[in-house]
Amino acid sequence: MIWAMIWAYLKIGFLGFGGGYAMLSLIYAESTKLGLTPAQFADLNALDGLIPGPVAINSATYIGQLAGGFWVALAVTLTVCIPSLVFVPLYMHNEQLIQENWALNALLRGIKPASAGLIVAVAVQLALTTIGGIDSVFALATAHVDWVSLAVLGVVLVLDLKWQVNPVVLIALAGVIGAVGYWVLG
Amino acid sequence: MTTNWLLFRIYFMASGFTFSGGMAMLPVIERELCDRRHLITKAALYEYTTLSQSLPGVIAVTNACFVGRKINGRAGMLAAGIGAVLPAFTLMLAATAAYQQIPRAGVWLAVMQAIRAASAAFLFTAAYRLAKYNLTDPVAIGLAAFCLLATVLGLLTTPLLIVAAGAIGLIAYRPRKEANR
Repeated sequence: MIWAMIWAYLKIGFLGFGGGYAMLSLIYAESTKLGLTPAQFADLNALDGLIPGPVAINSATYIGQLAGGFWVALAVTLTVCIPSLVFVPLYMHNEQLIQENWALNALLRGIKPASAGLIVAVAVQLALTTIGGIDSVFALATAHVDWVSLAVLGVVLVLDLKWQVNPVVLIALAGVIGAVGYWVLG
Repeated sequence: MTTNWLLFRIYFMASGFTFSGGMAMLPVIERELCDRRHLITKAALYEYTTLSQSLPGVIAVTNACFVGRKINGRAGMLAAGIGAVLPAFTLMLAATAAYQQIPRAGVWLAVMQAIRAASAAFLFTAAYRLAKYNLTDPVAIGLAAFCLLATVLGLLTTPLLIVAAGAIGLIAYRPRKEANR
């Protein structure tokens, strides 16, 4: 299990161009392969909004802690730092070579739009799970709409897009709406 | 105070107070390392920042390694790198342990369910922002649409799509012959 996680985080590190949310689709794909449920991934994303630090580090620590506690969390977190320790010295030794290299730029121009599409796919999958209780678009016929979740998604989307409300506030607000929904609609 | 301890402390403070990672911690680094201690020039700091955004890996960690290495060699690289990782690791460890203690029953389930919906919303807005800055030409729009469909329909895996998108970028955005002369 720990080797599967380390392998997963090597892939996440070395294929994770563009940082942060660009890496998140890769983290989702690899973590579900490791047995994390979409709900646990959604919780991770919420915790990441509450805790400072890069999402790659936060997710590595979270997944490691859930799977095996402190030492696994430490091992997986260190794994995701390996690309930095490889590329920094490599660059320092070949500065001229890399600086004039168009390839890195072209590579990124291909990967960044791809990550935008990939992250929408993860968002769609999380929305299907939380709102419809299903795990793929092929199960749409059997979906049961959870109206409270749908309302939360709509409200948070608008507050985040239009007014960039702090995620900590939005998560608290979502929790309150959930609790009120539970007591009112019970 | 040794340089290594200083590097560790500055990156520790900067990343401990920076939400959502990336280079939001840059102003603190710039003030401490460039303005106050003159350990690195602003030009070099910015160059390493741009570079860490285009190399694979965690941007904040890569940046810390570059700056640490420049200022104090291999030891400086490790000191700054550990400083950048430690706050996120410790806080996330505590947060995850607390999260594992939340009762999975009654109103708690409803609260968690609602927070998961909020979490999905965050991803939509993140995607919107990524798309706004990167979907600037037909190739980019095509790549984004294809990756979205292929993933939602479960046709291709994410690592494969990223490698393929990189390869298409190399072909589509290679230098034109005229530009080289």
